Amino acid sequence: MRVPFLITAVIVSAGVLLSLVLPDYHLRLLNLSVVSAIALIGLNFAFGYAGLISLGHAAFVGMGAYGLAILTTRMGWSPWRAMLVATTATAAFAGLIGLPLLRLKGHYLALATLGLNVSFYIVAANWIDLTGGTNGISRIPELTIAGRAIAGERPFLWFGLAVLAAITIVAFMIHTSRYGRAMIAVRDDETAAAMSGIDVTMTKIAAFVLSAVCAAIAGCLFACHVRFVAPEDFSYAHSITYLAMLIVGGESTIVGAILGAAVLTFLPEWLRFLGSAYLAFFGLMMLAILVFLPSGIAGLGRYLPRLRSPTRAAPASVSAKELGP
Amino acid sequence: MADLSQLLINGLAIGSVYALAAIGFVIVYSATGVVNFAAGQFVMFGTFAGVAMLINARLPWPSGYGAALAAMALFGALFFFVVYLPLRKSPIVTIIVATVAVGITMQNVALLTFGSWPFRLPSPVEGWTVTIAGTVVPAHFVAVIVVTAVMVGLLWLLFYRTPVGIGMRAVAQDIQAARLMGLKVNRLLALSWILAALLAGVAGLMLGPIWFADVNMGDPIALKAFAATIIGGFGSLPGAIVGGMFVGLSEVLGASYVSSAYKDLISFGIMIGFLLVRPQGVFGERIQDRG
Repeated sequence: MRVPFLITAVIVSAGVLLSLVLPDYHLRLLNLSVVSAIALIGLNFAFGYAGLISLGHAAFVGMGAYGLAILTTRMGWSPWRAMLVATTATAAFAGLIGLPLLRLKGHYLALATLGLNVSFYIVAANWIDLTGGTNGISRIPELTIAGRAIAGERPFLWFGLAVLAAITIVAFMIHTSRYGRAMIAVRDDETAAAMSGIDVTMTKIAAFVLSAVCAAIAGCLFACHVRFVAPEDFSYAHSITYLAMLIVGGESTIVGAILGAAVLTFLPEWLRFLGSAYLAFFGLMMLAILVFLPSGIAGLGRYLPRLRSPTRAAPASVSAKELGP
Repeated sequence: MADLSQLLINGLAIGSVYALAAIGFVIVYSATGVVNFAAGQFVMFGTFAGVAMLINARLPWPSGYGAALAAMALFGALFFFVVYLPLRKSPIVTIIVATVAVGITMQNVALLTFGSWPFRLPSPVEGWTVTIAGTVVPAHFVAVIVVTAVMVGLLWLLFYRTPVGIGMRAVAQDIQAARLMGLKVNRLLALSWILAALLAGVAGLMLGPIWFADVNMGDPIALKAFAATIIGGFGSLPGAIVGGMFVGLSEVLGASYVSSAYKDLISFGIMIGFLLVRPQGVFGERIQDRG
């Protein structure tokens, strides 16, 4: 358990350090990466651990965001209470839809979740009485702690990092628990998992619901940060971006999810010199990463021990001698 | 009544385009196992190949169409070498994201080349009308349906009457066995991609005069082609045709009789319904669980 805490501490302190030096615009991007990272830790449960290809993750982010937006602006609820209810409702929806949907596998599940996301978009863009249509919902209130609003990029980043740290630690705890192992077993071999007494359906639904919970929390944070929601932010293209972030960061690792979210959020900024050719280049770069770096950025870490192996082997032999009689 | 028959012809024409896009998608899927999320951008490229040849290069339509389709065939071969070959052993998600990534590149290359202003691609039968059962419809719609029927006929001849087509079916059925039988597997796989690009090209050229040629037209077409494929049955060519027609008709009839805002929800709702109740679609492959 020490390593996860260490990693979380590194990420949080890196974030806090950056928050002191970066200008406001970069802090905004950093905030968006934190929100994406929270959503991605969720997607990592569904896709990274349980192997469920979900192309509808943005719909769950959207449900959280729209839930909070509607409850706060139409019913005058406090954002905290709205966040709790919106997240619970999204989780319940994921459980209900997951029950029939998760019987599907591979590209069938991918296309079904894609259809879910497209349907969510159509409803959000056309149910004008509830969602404001394509104009979206504006004037979402800020989160407050002890009467003080979390306003501005810097305070929001600190708050976001605290949430990210909490979710990262919980995710690590689930990863090492029997439930996390059950999800990975289901991904690797469903039949073998079922033979060893794992309830495959329940495990898949649990992973799906967990992913929706993280997505909804990310959506609520997004709504409170941007203070405006519109259907465009939750289109299926965003679901694909989430999946791309997870693959670029490194499949099925929590660290990879956080790295992927940060890299793909800042990439447009780094490629600004390309001007309008940026997106054309972005697609080619994604392709290159998939071809040449199939295990993502976190996968690069795998090469490190190999490079260091002589130095690491030496202390090990020393300690073996010390342990000897 | 006149309204209804007009709507039916509209629906069948749009459905034909979806069907051709879906057939291209299915040919690639059954031969290579790749779920091509760039399928919609293939159709968009087809439309813009038409724009480049007919509007920019001012070619007369027979040679313009020929040049556009030749460009599409080249593009299919390029896609085979650049995307499919390097990733053919990758997991399905990697391939899905890769085709999406290439789709993004395709869309933005088109945006950089042609700009965001939509083009009006003319039809060879521009301005002609046909009267069917007392209803006047643009001749282009009828031509689209006829061309699609001819294409389907040619595909049937290719797949069931020529050695190349039979070889392609053999590769789709069992790639190992096909290789052991001495078939040039890679050449046949490349041919599947070229065929898919050609079908998308035909679909794009026929769609240009119906919709405006717009660089953002790819995504809606891809989504409709997916819905058509699921409804008809994944991996089935008759399924792709029936599914495409169904999606086209439900879109046109739904828009005028139910709600134009929610017209797309009908086909996606039915697609999800099919996935839940009958994932193999109307004609599709059997889905089996293997240990």
